[in-house]
Amino acid sequence: MIGNRVRGVQEMDQAGAVRIRWIPKYSAMERVFHWGHTVTFLLLAMTGMVLFFPFLGPLAQGASGEFTRLLHRAAAIAYGALPLIYIILEPRRAWMSLKSVFKVGRFDIEWVKGMIPYYMFGRHEAMAPQDRFNTGEKLNAVVIILGSVVFAITGLLMWFGKGFVPIGVFQAVVILHDIAMIVTVCMFIVHFYLAVVHPLMWAGLVSMRYGVTSAAYAQEHHALWYYGKERAEEIYEAHKAERSEDKK
Amino acid sequence: MEVNRRGFLRLSGAALASGVFVPWSMPEVQSSPQDRVGILYDSSKCIGCRACQMACKRWNKLPQETEVAETSPAEAANLYKLYDTPRDLSADTWTLIKLNKRSETDWHFMNYQCMHCADAACVTVCPSGALYKDERGFTAYDKSKCIGCGYCTQFCPYGVPALKTKSVLSGEAKAAKCTFCQDRVFSGIGGPFCAETCPVGALVWGSRAELLEAAKSRVEHLKSQGLGSVRLYGEHEAGGLGRLSIMFGEPGDYGWPVSPSTPAVARAWQDILQPLGTLAFGAAGLGVLAFYFIARRSIKMEEVE
Repeated sequence: MIGNRVRGVQEMDQAGAVRIRWIPKYSAMERVFHWGHTVTFLLLAMTGMVLFFPFLGPLAQGASGEFTRLLHRAAAIAYGALPLIYIILEPRRAWMSLKSVFKVGRFDIEWVKGMIPYYMFGRHEAMAPQDRFNTGEKLNAVVIILGSVVFAITGLLMWFGKGFVPIGVFQAVVILHDIAMIVTVCMFIVHFYLAVVHPLMWAGLVSMRYGVTSAAYAQEHHALWYYGKERAEEIYEAHKAERSEDKK
Repeated sequence: MEVNRRGFLRLSGAALASGVFVPWSMPEVQSSPQDRVGILYDSSKCIGCRACQMACKRWNKLPQETEVAETSPAEAANLYKLYDTPRDLSADTWTLIKLNKRSETDWHFMNYQCMHCADAACVTVCPSGALYKDERGFTAYDKSKCIGCGYCTQFCPYGVPALKTKSVLSGEAKAAKCTFCQDRVFSGIGGPFCAETCPVGALVWGSRAELLEAAKSRVEHLKSQGLGSVRLYGEHEAGGLGRLSIMFGEPGDYGWPVSPSTPAVARAWQDILQPLGTLAFGAAGLGVLAFYFIARRSIKMEEVE
């Protein structure tokens, strides 16, 4: 069933079958933003890497070079426009997401501690309650947001600033664009693994596709978001006490 | 020159061979000092006739400059600056004579063109291999490979390569610079047209080692004549320049760095960033693969529902 549940309440309908209660998580705009960004990011990475790896150099030359150059610029416009459209159309949701992404608390530190046992051995009991985005998702978002800001500034400078920008600045800009690429592509590999490949992690993919998540999954994995701060902490402490008694 | 049948065949064969082999004579060809060719410019002989400038335009079929530079107040105050026409090297001007006037009685001409550095920054940063070091030591350029990124224009310590931009929006552009007349050299017609045209021998070409010897004895000779400020530029700069200059005054008077080198960031790009990127992608990819197999073995899906 949706949710990889370890604990929590199963809701049954009258016939005794498990009833799944779906709750909205991502708006349509957010999903378009996410997948649009995914496609344009991959296009940008692929067309950009022909300049980064010398063995791909031939792809940058001649007709294919003209094609990759145009594609890189077209994709860059879409990549930059998508977040702006999101902010313009849904300013309150955008602000809410941005705030929650950059918020760091003690549960994030505990989440990082429990990360390896969870992702490698499937032990979810010890995981700290999470907001609408868990710490890993937040880390991904922060890296991509900061990387995209660097991409936008350095990219526009290289695009329109050649000849106007001081040479030393231009040299730094070329390097910064590459560093941002290395960091964000590594982040993308990890994000792709956790969101698509990892055997436990398909609930997030479903939410990003259909915009909803099951109440059971939200209770388990996004307790801060589902219950609110006080109740989530209460439940978390109670489970903690339970576990330490079990050990004794 | 009359071209007979055999000569024509030999010439076209050489042209064909150069067309076929130039693209494959890829970078990193280390030249031994003996067979390296070079150009020697002797400011003490130059009469500023600009024949080299016109020869360069003619052989390379370069159009005249269309944009006339505005005269700045500083230039108007130093009228001699107006001698410099056009003001700087560009995508259409690969050889340029400028006047350097330090006082009413102390002035000299300088020829500006690509220095053909042994350790060329433009070659280091060129991502498509359009710029490469030829085995004869000159910094060669294959226009068909140029993608117009303009990195060479930003990293050259002499600011030589220039970008001819067709469209800023689409980024369509081609870099251009002195090619040492590689077509002439490869097809056996002769050397760089500028050097072959110079009527007073201020610009000569040949084996760099021989030119170096000649330049040193010339500098000694000029010094013995009482010209104290004369110097040879290019023996060791940037790994040794292919363009040696006998000049008066300081390199700074001509806008040249005293000790030019490939910018550290250009080295960082090739020597650190690219291996680092490869390593990071590999580590991330292999890491998640390893994690995947551990997770698949240790997580029992039926237990977690």
